[in-house]
Amino acid sequence: MSFEPNKAENLDACIKCSACTALCPVAAVNPLFPGPKILGPDAERFRLEGLQIGTTLLNYCSKCKTCEITCPSGVKITEMITRAQEDAKISGGGKTLQFSIRDYLFGRAEYLGRLAMISPNLTNVLLKAPPVRKILAQVLGISSEAPLPAYNPKFKGTETGRQSKKQVVYFPGCFVTYNDPPTGQAIVKVLEHNGYEVIVPSFHCCGTPLEGNGYLNEAKEIAKKNLALMDPFMRAGIPLITGCTSCGLALKECPSFEEPESELQTYDLFEFLWQLHEQNELRENFNEVQVSLGYHASCHLKAQGIGTPSVRLLRLIPGVQVAELDQGCCGLSGSYGFKKEKYNTAMQIGNPLFNRVRQGVASGEFQSVITECGGCQVQIRHGSGIKTEHPIWVLMQAYGLN
Amino acid sequence: MWDGIIIGGGLAGLLAGIRASERGKHILIISEGVGSLTYSSGALDFGDAGQLLNQENHPYALLGETSIRAGMDYFQRLFPDYQGKWGVTQNLLTPLGSPRKASIVPYGQNAESLQDARRIVLMAPDGMKDFFPEIIKTNLERSYPQCVVEVYPFRVGAFESWHAIGKSVTGMEYAKYWQSGPGISELKRVLNCLTMIFDGEVSSKKNETAVLFPGIATAFSDPLKEILSETPFPVIEMTAFPPSASGHNLYCALKQKFKSLGGELLFGTGVQRIELQGKLCDKAIVKSKGRYTAFSARSFILATGGIFGGGIEVTPEAAQETVLGLPLYVPAELTNSEFLGEQPYAHMGIEVDSELRPTGPGNKEVLFENLRVIGRMLAHWDPWTDNCGGGVSLATGWFAGEKL
Repeated sequence: MSFEPNKAENLDACIKCSACTALCPVAAVNPLFPGPKILGPDAERFRLEGLQIGTTLLNYCSKCKTCEITCPSGVKITEMITRAQEDAKISGGGKTLQFSIRDYLFGRAEYLGRLAMISPNLTNVLLKAPPVRKILAQVLGISSEAPLPAYNPKFKGTETGRQSKKQVVYFPGCFVTYNDPPTGQAIVKVLEHNGYEVIVPSFHCCGTPLEGNGYLNEAKEIAKKNLALMDPFMRAGIPLITGCTSCGLALKECPSFEEPESELQTYDLFEFLWQLHEQNELRENFNEVQVSLGYHASCHLKAQGIGTPSVRLLRLIPGVQVAELDQGCCGLSGSYGFKKEKYNTAMQIGNPLFNRVRQGVASGEFQSVITECGGCQVQIRHGSGIKTEHPIWVLMQAYGLN
Repeated sequence: MWDGIIIGGGLAGLLAGIRASERGKHILIISEGVGSLTYSSGALDFGDAGQLLNQENHPYALLGETSIRAGMDYFQRLFPDYQGKWGVTQNLLTPLGSPRKASIVPYGQNAESLQDARRIVLMAPDGMKDFFPEIIKTNLERSYPQCVVEVYPFRVGAFESWHAIGKSVTGMEYAKYWQSGPGISELKRVLNCLTMIFDGEVSSKKNETAVLFPGIATAFSDPLKEILSETPFPVIEMTAFPPSASGHNLYCALKQKFKSLGGELLFGTGVQRIELQGKLCDKAIVKSKGRYTAFSARSFILATGGIFGGGIEVTPEAAQETVLGLPLYVPAELTNSEFLGEQPYAHMGIEVDSELRPTGPGNKEVLFENLRVIGRMLAHWDPWTDNCGGGVSLATGWFAGEKL
């Protein structure tokens, strides 16, 4: 008998304890969804025999990865489900034509963004017009209630570096690039304030929307393009930083990054800033900021296994109070909550969080919410009506930069 | 730099984290999984402390009675919904309806009132998973021969779509529903129906009735506690098969307490190794996504659990402690042919001094000055035959949190 050292790849590592299903946000609100245990390791046995089962249900997984970080045996459940989705797509099962077209589009956030850049204002007017939303709902299956984020003129950074000693490469991600450029500019300012030259190559989408919509191979292709853009910087040992937790997870999961030579170079923004703090290299002459905040940790931050560095860092600022909301997934999961047939599920998933936010604000415990994830920001604002923004804005205030 | 890093986020690790944070320490808990509390009934065993305190090398004997009692008192001070007294055990029911004993029991699980009952009404929610009313009825009749046992089936509208597709509803789903707004109204309605039925009966019968309610967890929920305290008959919760709502709620309460005291919880990834500086632990190296992250601290606590929790890995060749490779006490014979009897492997673990610092094999020399080992990872005890799993975790967790 030989011992299998890589438990994660071993299907038999699943002890059928159901801890993943007990904590799955989708299964909690949607009785038709059998949950990660059944769709993951249970169905995988049949899939390995060439039998595709429950292909329609696979699409209800929101890819939040709660099951993976919950599993006591390290089974890669989301990965199994994503691979099964890809296989189901190839075999033509699981989706109607309408949903296939819609998911094809949602997977390509970058191209949608580029299209919107022709005229962001016109796009916003159209996306807010009820007749347009009705058509989008009927033709494409995009919920007419979904909080589609507004577009803004494109975020632009400096593409090439000078000879500065302290350089970082910033990966803005599609949300900052097309929807929220001010946050990108704020991140650049904070890094520059700490003496870094910030280089922003013309990156493509990180691939998360593709993966989330069942286009695993395309996600890998786009990752290769980004890797080629990063390559010279990685070789020069320049760190790569992103303020988006989903981009961060995708960049860290990128296969080439698991090679030893590229290790220790991809950072979540606050993970990087915290490291500067630990090395006494962070500027900490903070202004006092009298504010109480509720913090929501996004699922894809949790999946990075780095803790909550933004909470740690903001607590260094005099006057700042941070309460961790700890209410699980917001429900949006990228484009999942925009989809007609999933909108209600997404809102139900987010309900405990929205209630906690509303109660916290009503009782005066905190005034507004912070979270790194753009999608979570959109959903929390939509579900609770409370101001929600990226934590970088608190740091901007502390540095007196805004 | 943290004051303390605790590796493992189960009962012992979280309690240590809470105590240390309460004392103003800056604490990080790194936990590979979500701990095993969700698999537990939620009730906590302390065992026969009088005897265990005299059992050589037992964690109780190492710490002494004062510390064990302090752990018990501290836990109840944190969570007043948990009740128990030193040296006194309470009756509660297993998921199959047999009585068992425990030392600290969450609000609602205490089943003492069954002793005085003449009739037990077993609530039977429709389509509940891992719930076997006929077996429970038989077991109750055997254990409480003075009682008549009646099964009261009822159906909850909120789960119609579950029933329609033939999907069973887990006890955790039921318990979560009872805590929601609509669930609370429905519970009032169900209990009112019962009250009305009992009102039509002769008083001797209705006054001697106890109601058993599976799939509900009242601890930590003020509205539920209020409703159940107002019924004219005692309502007793049943413990559940894993995953269990009571165990899960305790896990959530511990986590919330720790975070509200400013503690940080990093979960989903374990500690790959510890970097040392002589006889001191210096940095915990965590396998984050795509890269390693180093966290340094002044003190460390190892609370990674035993074989089930992943703190000890057993292969056909050897057993090893997974984080530091600390020397393990391994009994010569691992198993006993009597399945439910004492199993020697249960005593496997790390030997420590009276400060819970790991010691070298065969001697009492402390291996690391700033490391303490707590909970299931300790050697020389058996949670099943000693019935002291909760006690060891609370006492050692409290002690380490106090000393950190």
